[in-house]
Amino acid sequence: MARNNDISTPEAYFQHLEERLKAIPAREVKPTVIQRVSPWIAYAASLAVLAAVGNFIFGRAAAVEEEADWDYISYLSRSLDPDGQIELAETEDLSEEDIRSFLIADNISVEHLESLNNEEDY
Amino acid sequence: MEKLEQIFNKIVREYSERLYWHVRRMVGSHEDADDLVQEIFLKIWTNLPSFRGESQMYTWIWRIATNETLNHLRKERVRAALRFQAVDELMERRIEADPYFNGTAAQRELAKAVARLPEKQRQVFVMRWWDELSYEEISAITGISVGALKASYHIAREKIELNLSSSEVSK
Repeated sequence: MARNNDISTPEAYFQHLEERLKAIPAREVKPTVIQRVSPWIAYAASLAVLAAVGNFIFGRAAAVEEEADWDYISYLSRSLDPDGQIELAETEDLSEEDIRSFLIADNISVEHLESLNNEEDY
Repeated sequence: MEKLEQIFNKIVREYSERLYWHVRRMVGSHEDADDLVQEIFLKIWTNLPSFRGESQMYTWIWRIATNETLNHLRKERVRAALRFQAVDELMERRIEADPYFNGTAAQRELAKAVARLPEKQRQVFVMRWWDELSYEEISAITGISVGALKASYHIAREKIELNLSSSEVSK
C-alpha cells in the first residue's frame, strides 16, 4: 500500500487483527427474538403497572370527581421511576431512538430521518 | 457451519488489511478504524449465510464495508450536532493528534482536506486515490454510474486542490 505510507499502525497489528476477527464465529451468538423484544416487554409491563395503579386510584376518585388529576399520575410515575429513565437501550451511547426523538422535536425532515435508518439487508 | 467458518476465515485473510486502510482513511483515527473493522466483519459473518452470489463476493464485501462506514460517519455527524460541534473540526483535530501519522506536513494537509469532503464524495476519492479501485469496481460496489463517479472524483480533486492552495503548507 504505497499510498498509505504516511500512516501506520501499532506493531503486529494486522496479525492480531486477523486473530480477533477469526474469533468472531465462536464468540458471536445471534440474539434470540426474546432477547431483542425483552426491553420492550419490560417497558410495556411498566406502563401496564402504571395504568393499573392509575385506573385503581381514579376508579375510586371518579365517583367523587369529574376530571382526572394528571398531576397524581406524574407523581406515581416519579415514585416508580425516580430517575425518569426507563432503560430501553443496552448501550451507554445515545440510541437511535434518542437521536430520532430529538430530531423529530427539532422538525428535521422525513427524508433526513430515513437516511438515518441504518439497518441494511445484505 | 464449518464450511462457513472456512469461507469467513479466508475473507479475513484476504480483506482485513485492505478494508482497514479504507476505513482508516475515512474515519481518520486508528482506534475508530479498528472498532469499525470489527463491526464490518461481524456484519459479514452475520450475513454470510444469506449471500446467494447475486454479486461477486468481492463486491459484496466492499459494499458492506462502505455502507457500514457511511453509517458510522452519519451517526458521528448527528452526535456532533447534538453536542453543537462541527464534525469536520473533530476530524481535523483527530488527524492533527494522530500518533500513527508519519507523513509530511503536505500529506497531513491532504488528509485534512479529504476529511472536509462530504462523506459520499470522500468515499469515492478514498476508493480511487488510496484504495486504487477502478471506476467500474467502485460503480459495482456503490451502485453509482461510472460517469457520476468520474464527476464526483473530479469535483473532489478540485475542492482538495483549492483547500491545499489556501492552506499553510503552500505558503
